[in-house]
Amino acid sequence: MFNRDKKSKNENVSVSRRSFLKGVMATSAVAVIGPSLLVPNTASAATIAERAEWKLTGSHWGAFRAKIHGGKVTEVKAFELDKYPTDMLKGIEGIIYSPSRVRYPMVRLDWYLNREKSDTKQRGDNRFIRVTWDQALDMFYEELERVQNTYGPSGLHTGANGWRATGQLHSCGSHMARAIAMHGSSVKDVGDYSTGAGQTILPYVLGSTEVYAPGTSWPLILDNSKTIILWATDPVKNLQVGWNCETHDSFEYLEQLKDKVAEKKIRVISVDPVKNKTQNFLGNEHRYINPHTDVPFMLAVAHTMVKEDLHDQKFIDTYALGFDKFLQYVQGETEDKVEKTPEWASEICGVPADEIRDFARLITNGRTQLLFGWSIQRQQHGEQPYWMGAVLATMIGQIGLPGGGISYGHHYSSIGVPSSGAVGAGAFPRNPDSGKPIRHESKDFKGASSTLPVARFVDALQNPGKVIDANGSKITFPDIKMMVFTGCNPWHRHQDRNKMKAAFQKLETVIAIDYNWTATCRFSDIVLPACTQYERNDLDIYGSYRAKGLLGMKKLVDPLFQSKTDFQIFTELTKRWGKSKDYTQGKSEVQWLEQLYNESKDANAGKWEMPDFHEFWKEGYFHFGDGENWTRHADFREDPEVNALGTPSGFIEIYSRKIARFGYEHCKGHPMWFEKEERSHGGPKSDEFPVWMQSCHPDKRLHSQMCESEAFRATYTVQGREPVFMNSADAKKRGIKDGDIVRVFNDRGQLLAGAVVDDNYPVDVIRIQEGAWYGPEDESIGSLCTYGDPNNLTIDIGSSELAQATSANTCQVEFEKFKGKVPAVNSFGGPKEVV
Amino acid sequence: MKKLFSMIARSWGVFSKPSKHISLGVITCGAFLAGIIFWGGFNTALEATNTEAFCISCHSMEENNYKEIQSTIHWSNRSGVRATCPDCHVPHKWSDKMAAKARASKDVFGWLLGTVDTKEKFEAKRLHLAQNEWARFKANGSLECRNCHDYKSMDFTKMSEKAQVQMRGAAERDQSCLDCHKGIAHHLPEMDTTAISELGKMAKNLEGHSFEVGKEYYSLVQTPLYKDEKETEYLGVLTPATKFKVIAESGNRLEVELVTWHKAKGYGRVLYFDFAKNIVQATLSKEASQDESLFVRGDKREDDLTGLPWEQVTFTLWVDKKGYEENLQNIWDYAKGAYQTTCSVCHTQPAEGHFDANTWVGMFAGMQGFVNLDGDTHDVILKYLQNHSSDYSKDAH
Repeated sequence: MFNRDKKSKNENVSVSRRSFLKGVMATSAVAVIGPSLLVPNTASAATIAERAEWKLTGSHWGAFRAKIHGGKVTEVKAFELDKYPTDMLKGIEGIIYSPSRVRYPMVRLDWYLNREKSDTKQRGDNRFIRVTWDQALDMFYEELERVQNTYGPSGLHTGANGWRATGQLHSCGSHMARAIAMHGSSVKDVGDYSTGAGQTILPYVLGSTEVYAPGTSWPLILDNSKTIILWATDPVKNLQVGWNCETHDSFEYLEQLKDKVAEKKIRVISVDPVKNKTQNFLGNEHRYINPHTDVPFMLAVAHTMVKEDLHDQKFIDTYALGFDKFLQYVQGETEDKVEKTPEWASEICGVPADEIRDFARLITNGRTQLLFGWSIQRQQHGEQPYWMGAVLATMIGQIGLPGGGISYGHHYSSIGVPSSGAVGAGAFPRNPDSGKPIRHESKDFKGASSTLPVARFVDALQNPGKVIDANGSKITFPDIKMMVFTGCNPWHRHQDRNKMKAAFQKLETVIAIDYNWTATCRFSDIVLPACTQYERNDLDIYGSYRAKGLLGMKKLVDPLFQSKTDFQIFTELTKRWGKSKDYTQGKSEVQWLEQLYNESKDANAGKWEMPDFHEFWKEGYFHFGDGENWTRHADFREDPEVNALGTPSGFIEIYSRKIARFGYEHCKGHPMWFEKEERSHGGPKSDEFPVWMQSCHPDKRLHSQMCESEAFRATYTVQGREPVFMNSADAKKRGIKDGDIVRVFNDRGQLLAGAVVDDNYPVDVIRIQEGAWYGPEDESIGSLCTYGDPNNLTIDIGSSELAQATSANTCQVEFEKFKGKVPAVNSFGGPKEVV
Repeated sequence: MKKLFSMIARSWGVFSKPSKHISLGVITCGAFLAGIIFWGGFNTALEATNTEAFCISCHSMEENNYKEIQSTIHWSNRSGVRATCPDCHVPHKWSDKMAAKARASKDVFGWLLGTVDTKEKFEAKRLHLAQNEWARFKANGSLECRNCHDYKSMDFTKMSEKAQVQMRGAAERDQSCLDCHKGIAHHLPEMDTTAISELGKMAKNLEGHSFEVGKEYYSLVQTPLYKDEKETEYLGVLTPATKFKVIAESGNRLEVELVTWHKAKGYGRVLYFDFAKNIVQATLSKEASQDESLFVRGDKREDDLTGLPWEQVTFTLWVDKKGYEENLQNIWDYAKGAYQTTCSVCHTQPAEGHFDANTWVGMFAGMQGFVNLDGDTHDVILKYLQNHSSDYSKDAH
């Protein structure tokens, strides 16, 4: 019920009928086969089919039992403790058996011929040559040596971390980081693409990064809130995936909330330009707002609260600092000298002034819980709406009360589900063991910074030596010559493909380790095949952040083709400088698993009596159970002196002197409205590119993961292309019909996508979900993306001098019906092998 | 007589038809009678098990739990109201009572088998037994406490301010009493044997060392602070890795001097390492933080970054003679290792010098909930990061 398709698009599906039917049959079989067949019944095993084994494992999409037959995964069935499994489980088989699998170690043709002196303009032509594992690892090692000897640590970047496959032992980022740190130092990243602005601004305001922090328990929200504001958040869509193995416990509460909405016991309002999946599920009210204009709207709400004396002055006086300075801005006495009246805001945000006033009255009448999503901080000046949200919550005065205050994470990884408090498994160590020698001891970054704000790495490639501001420091860009990525796809998550293409031409060597041939593999020089998580044994917590239990992740099938575990790959790499024993600490995979399990067992002793490892492994999981309800910031509310916030003053900082003294132009002492580089609905550049493109997290993928799952992808693509969702008036105006191929473009790039006409989207707003695999027609700058990766069009600028985070959601485009010969989709299927 | 018999027999036959061996009538009447007898007997017997006399009829209960309660306010108080065993340990609701009785029947076997028939055996089981009761109180929101102590009937204004803060908050959340009030009627189980921190072990290893007056030492674990050499109620707690100077020794205590800063706003209950640096050295009760006989005021300055006034304060207080570290580096070595291991599970841990001391508080707070650190280790990692932050480290960037 959470995956209700807007409409059937079967007529537009371009996969072969056979593969489509195969997908449908595989998924419908899940419903038909009952649990009686789950246990292999050898006594009556008359046919081979009945000898099939069922094995339990986990993933970002949830835990599941897989049927193994003929050495292959033939069926996937949700783990019985997962009451609300995601539809995406249907895509798992397609990941394992994707035609995009990285099968063998591959080297880019021109790099193979000319090494670091290769013609880097050819990078992206996808022509590769197969080599042996030994050859590939020798090259990897020789390149590490060359770069450390020639350039030192500032020449090597290894900091990129992505959504690694789940599992604590084989967590790929840890393996790469440990192995390479045993060889020498390199440039690292800080922050991430999801919450870069939020996690930087909030420690100054609320004293912690907040975005991943435990949130007030859902039962307390359901019992105490009178009003819930879902501010640019779509939990029904986003809670399908988790950083650890999900069991989707949040959905139980969302169902209860749906009932309470229907019974009019809780009023829920989605503040969003789009009527999103959650709103359609809950059946709640919609507060349309122009894209990018949350801050003017909120400023006018604050203006009304003060004017009508709706704010909690006592709470502000006790728990916050700097309200007076902020108020002067609201009343037009400072900065732009404009009074932030509802009439002023109405012009910008498209909400009638009286409705802004009503909103202020509503959120100050009874217990109000503000739940913010991440999309509004993934835009230029993304620090501001988060800061301003905290100011509104402070003015309401319910921070620290159950069902009141503000959260920035209830749409993510089971935040809000009461935590069991159990200790999960640790992980394979990311750092070299202390006291062991490092092959290259140098930590000389030649005056450059050793850590970059993650989303500024392309700027660094283009401008070595340039100094930028970031979070109160000066960052000097290092001169990067070589990058290594594992389980990380910058060619999906980073903005502005054509800028990236040019920047990557400056790199001498790029190494990618992955299980499927992402665009990052296409733009690399050496590609190593890792196996999927379904081809190795591991441990993970389930229930995601709230630790409902510990899961033994069984290897379902042997690694396909020549793929290997990360553990093996880096053991063999470190062997090249004689340190593989240090790397593994002399322990095998199973010894590590047992150790990680025992650490968890010991840490939980007294609270949970966990069985020994072998018994656990046989059983498959250990359930910790439910946790206790908890209220965010309750301790601070109770005793702000002893339980001070982590802000400089220990109080909520409506005004931050610390930020003010950085002297930044686009992040000053208190939240403010700044006009964007480009903005729809009358904003800058909207005359040329009138349409705002949002590139939010996908509904049927985890970022770019599972896009390569053929049959599942076919359930949502349009003529084989990524869907672009648009309003019917916008479509009509351009002569576009549902199912047409359209070209979406701006002055940064162009892509093809398949039109889905959907009036959940307002005029001048389209959505292309991020994670759509990049498939350029060729390696040249400006070439058309054949599949529909929205980051062809997004802008690559920092949110501000403070966070320097991604501004992906600041993006104006135009689109048209595509005419001419339609190029084939070329994102999938791996490299062009040259023999 | 025969006629009468046959009449009875005939009517009896109606009852006897469906069953071949025992008639429905026998079942019905028999069950009815037995029910009366059983019910009466059951309730009588059940009531008997609900008396204090029954509870302490077993040796273990009398020797341990019963003796312990006699020194508490629930046994004797100025109002003459006494809580007996069943008042707290037997649910008042019938169905819950039956469930509790069923569970408690295990204790009878325990008594037969001698599971806790010695002091040592009882102590070994104490934590387990206590946890069962705590879980029950947790589940019912401490219902048995609240049969007498009701949030609705509490007059908060009659409480001390410190108590008010806690109790108002608890009432607002309808919090279970046992969340905070554990060990009020019986001794607390020895819990640190199961969850002793690494720092606790370091402290234990250093126990028994002699102290030198005039010398400086560092706390390893959260350490209670006292007003003098005898007082048992503590005034506050030192965090790990806090420096103090021994100025006198007496019996089992040391008189120590703490040179710290506090915010000259509010009660100044939190003592910090340095001017305008939120590096916590100790937390005091409101009374202690206001007691001028315990401290000397020094320099007073305003922190430009927050506008808050800060004041140097030198406290003279007492601590128990326990294990303290002379070499701070030993503590930092432990903290560094714990930081690198624990905080690299999910991501590359930022360099210590990447943030300043006050920013570390917020960065660290955001990551809680992902790592399970005992209180001492939590405090010491944060202090390690703060003490090696860009404020104090030369190689910061």
